[in-house]
Amino acid sequence: MQFEVIAKCHTTRARVSRMKLAHGVTSLPTFMPVATQAAIKGMKILEEAGGAHQFQGWKHNLLTDSGGFQLVSLNKFTKITEEGALFASPFDGAPTMLTAKESISIQHTIGADIIMQLDDVVSSLTVGPRVAEAMWRTIRWLDRCIETHEKSGKHDVQNLFAIVQGGLDHELRDQCLQEMINRKDRVAGYAIGGLSGGEEKDVFWRIIKQCADKLPEDRPRYSMGIGFAEDLLVCVALGVDMADCVFPTRTARFGVALTFNGPLNLRLAKHASDMGPIDETCPCPTCSDGYSRAFLHHNITIETAAAHAVTQHNLVFQARMMGQARNAIIQGTFPDYLKSFFRNYFGDQGYPEWCINALRSVGVDLLESDPSAKTQTGSGAKWERVDTR
Amino acid sequence: MMSTLSFSLLQSDLAQFAPRRGLLSIRRLDGSPNVDVNTPGFITATTRGLVPHLSRDHVRSTSSIRWTHIAFESFLDRVPPIPLLQSGPHSLHKFLGFRPNQHILSLSLRDPSDQRIMPPNGKDHVSAYCMSGVRKVTPQMWKDFTTACTPDIIVALSDTSLSDTNYSQKRLTKSVERSTAWLAHLLQSDAKSTSDPSSPRCRNILVNMAGGDEPRARASFSENLIEMLQGVEFEQVNPLRTLDEGVSGYIFELLPLRNDIRRDAPPAREEAAISSVIPLLKASLGPLPITKPRIAHSTSSPHEILQLIRDVGIDIFDIHWAQRAADIGIALDFSFPVPETHRQSENNDSQRQPLLDSTGRRDLGHNLFDVKYGNDHSSLASYLDEQSSDSATQHPTCPCAACSPHSPASHITHSSVDQTYLDPTTSTAPQHSYSRAYIHHLLHTHEMSSHSLLAMHNIAVMDAFFSGIRQLLETDLKNKESKFLEEVERFCNVYDDKMSMFRLAKEDWSTVELERGKGRLTREKEKEKEKEKEKEREKEKSATTTA
Repeated sequence: MQFEVIAKCHTTRARVSRMKLAHGVTSLPTFMPVATQAAIKGMKILEEAGGAHQFQGWKHNLLTDSGGFQLVSLNKFTKITEEGALFASPFDGAPTMLTAKESISIQHTIGADIIMQLDDVVSSLTVGPRVAEAMWRTIRWLDRCIETHEKSGKHDVQNLFAIVQGGLDHELRDQCLQEMINRKDRVAGYAIGGLSGGEEKDVFWRIIKQCADKLPEDRPRYSMGIGFAEDLLVCVALGVDMADCVFPTRTARFGVALTFNGPLNLRLAKHASDMGPIDETCPCPTCSDGYSRAFLHHNITIETAAAHAVTQHNLVFQARMMGQARNAIIQGTFPDYLKSFFRNYFGDQGYPEWCINALRSVGVDLLESDPSAKTQTGSGAKWERVDTR
Repeated sequence: MMSTLSFSLLQSDLAQFAPRRGLLSIRRLDGSPNVDVNTPGFITATTRGLVPHLSRDHVRSTSSIRWTHIAFESFLDRVPPIPLLQSGPHSLHKFLGFRPNQHILSLSLRDPSDQRIMPPNGKDHVSAYCMSGVRKVTPQMWKDFTTACTPDIIVALSDTSLSDTNYSQKRLTKSVERSTAWLAHLLQSDAKSTSDPSSPRCRNILVNMAGGDEPRARASFSENLIEMLQGVEFEQVNPLRTLDEGVSGYIFELLPLRNDIRRDAPPAREEAAISSVIPLLKASLGPLPITKPRIAHSTSSPHEILQLIRDVGIDIFDIHWAQRAADIGIALDFSFPVPETHRQSENNDSQRQPLLDSTGRRDLGHNLFDVKYGNDHSSLASYLDEQSSDSATQHPTCPCAACSPHSPASHITHSSVDQTYLDPTTSTAPQHSYSRAYIHHLLHTHEMSSHSLLAMHNIAVMDAFFSGIRQLLETDLKNKESKFLEEVERFCNVYDDKMSMFRLAKEDWSTVELERGKGRLTREKEKEKEKEKEKEREKEKSATTTA
C-alpha cells in the first residue's frame, strides 16, 4: 500500500489522502458500500474461481472483514476462547473454530486488498471485566494475524489492518492504542471497532476523537459500521479516512432515498404524484435520467428494479457527500462545508446537540451564524415520517 | 399523430396460415430514426411499467429489448393515473424511462399475463385490477388515457376476461358486440380532437380477437371488422370505410382463451393444448386480410411459439414466461435450429448442456438453485458451444450482460482528486462471464442481482431463438425449401415441452424463499441427506423387486 496525505483542513483534523492498492487508487476520506452475503460456503469455490474479485467480476479495491463482528452480531451461540471463536458452521452445523490464523488465510483466499485482523468484539453496551478481556485478547490475536500474514508472502498485495477495541472506556482504549501503535511497522492501517452498537452519540464521538487523535498520521484510519451522513462528516472532521455501513443500500430497499435535505421516504403518499427526481442536481443514473419520485413511489418495495434505482442513487449520494468533503478540505473550506451541510440537512428539525459538541471539539461552531437555531437531543438520526410537514 | 406503424412481409404470394417473415416498423413523425422489429419477433413484457428486475441502464444495454408492452391498470389506483401527469412529447416513454429512438411502447388496459379471475365486464366498462382493488374503465376513459399518454401502439378495449362462470350463447354474442362497439368508439375522432388537428393522436391500434372458444363467434367478430359501414356508424369513423381500416394488427390473448376452453370442456384440468387453440385462431383470421401483423400473448413455451408460427402464421409473441423464469432461478439454454451439441441423446456429466430427462428430452435450461451448479464455473449458455471445443472452457458469446459483462463507459467523479486516479486500462479491460456457481450463490443468498442477470440472459436467449427462426425462414424462401418444418419437428423432439424443470425450480425457489433466516443452510444440508437416503431406499426397493 502507498498512503500519502495530500491535504489537511486548517481547522479540523480532516485530511485528504491517496491510498494506492493492488486494484487502483482510492481517494480518502471515502465511504465503502457493503456487499452482504459474500459469506461463502466453503472456500473451495472461491479458490477455484480465483478469488472474490474474479468470482463477482469486481475490478476495483475490496476490503474484507475478519468475521469477528459477524460472529457476534449474527450468532448468539458463538463462544469465544483464547484460541478463537467457536461457532456452529452455517454450512453444515458442525462446531467450527475460527482462529486468527484461519481468518487470515480465508481472507487470503478471498484476495481482498485490505484484510482485517480477527478481533474479539463485545457489544458496545457491555460493561465489566469482559471489555478489558476482549481488548487484550484482540491484541494477542493481532500478533497471530500479523505472523500468519507475514509468513504468507501475500503482504505485498494484501494489507492487514488492526482494530482498536476497548469499548466505551477511555483508559482501555488508550492502552489498546498504545499496544497497537507499537506494532505500527507491521500493520498497514487502523480501524476503530466496537462502536455503532447503540451507545450514546456523545460517548461515540469522544471515543472516535480519542482514537483518531492518537493513531499515527501516516496510516489510514477506518471507522467501522458508520453510514449516516451526520456520523460520517463528524468522523471525517475528527480525522477518520474510511467508513463502511449497510445503511445506504439497506434503507434503499425499504424505500428511503438520501438527499442533502435529509432522507425521503418514497413510500409516503406525498411523493405519489411528484414528477421531479429525488434530487435535481444528482448525477446518479436514477436522477440524471429523470426517474420521477412518483414512479419510484409506484414500485418501491414491490419491484426489485425500483430498489436497484434507489440503491444506485443512495450510493452516489454517499460518494458525493464524501467527494464534496474532499474538495472542501483541499480548498480550505471544510468548516463552511460542514456548516452548510448541517444547515440543509437538519435546519428544519434542529441540529443534533452531539454533532454541535463534536464539531466544537475540532473548532467548528455550527451555530456560529445563528445562535438561536433549533437543536435536538438524542441521536438526531433523521427520518421522514408520515406526520412530518 | 406521433408515429405510424407499418408492416411488410418478405413473401409475396403467401398462404393464409403459412409461416411468415416480416418487418414491423414504427416511424416517428419527428424525424428520429425508425424502430424496427423483424418478425417472427418478440415483445418484452413489463410489470407495473418496468421490465422486471432490470434497471434503466440494463434495459438500454439489452439491445434486443425493442418492443415493450405496458399494462395501464396498475396506475389506476390514483386519479388521475400518474402517467398522465408527465408532460412533453413521448410522455409515456419519458415517464417509464424508455427511449423513443430505441423502444416501441404498446399500451393495453389489462395485463395479458394476469391470471386473476375478475368480476365480469359491464355494458360500458372493463374491470381492471390495481393494488387498491378493481376499477371500472369505460371506453371514453380509455380513449382519454391513451390520448394523454401517447404510446406508440394502443390496444383497444375488448370484452375478454378471465371469469369462472359459464358463458351462455347470449353472453358470447354480447361480448362480440361490445368489443366491436368499443373498437368503433376508439376509432371515432373526438369533437375535441377534430377542432384541434395538431393534438397528437395515436392511430396505431391493435385489437383483441373476441369470440371466446366458439369458432362462429370468433368469425363473426372478424366479419364485423371488415363489414362496410353505413349511416351513422360510417359518419362516426369517417374517413374509415370499415373498422378494420383503422386497425394495425390482431392480438390473440391465449390466457383467457385457454380459460374458456377449459371451462367449457371439463374435466380437463391441465392447460388446454395448443392444438385446441390453433383452430380458434384460424377461425378469427379466416375473414381478415393476411397483410397485418398477428400477435400472440402468453404462450407458455418455445414449442408453442414454433407451432403458432408454423400452423397459424403468428408474427409476434410476448416472452413473459421466459422473463419470469429468471424469478425462479432458471437460465435458459436452448436454440433454434437445435444445435449439434444438444442433439446427443445421452447425458454426459462433464458437459455443460442442460440435462436429459427420463424420456430423453433435454431441459430448456438450468435450474441454478440446484446444488450441482455450486461448483460450475462455466458461463450460462451452452447452446453456443462449438461441438468440437473443450467443454470446460468459457464461451462468452452470448451477448447478455451476464455472459458478456462490460464496464460502464464513463465514471462519475466526485472530487477534483478522483479523475487522475482512474486507471483507463483496468476500467476498459473485458470482463469474464459471470459463472453458474456465482449466480447459484446469489440465488441462495437472496441477492436481487441474480434475477437481473438471469432476466437479461433469458431475453438474449429468446432473441437468438427468434433470430434462428427468421434466418431459417429466409433460407427456405431463397431455396424454395421447407427446412423450417423439419427443424420445428426436431426441436419438439429434442427439448422437453412439459417444462418439468420449471416445476422443480419453482419448488426450490419457494423452499429458499420460505426458509430465509438462521440455520437455513443446516436445514438444506439435512434435506440433501434425506433425499439421498430416499434414493438409496428406492434403489434397494427396485433391486428387491427385480430379484
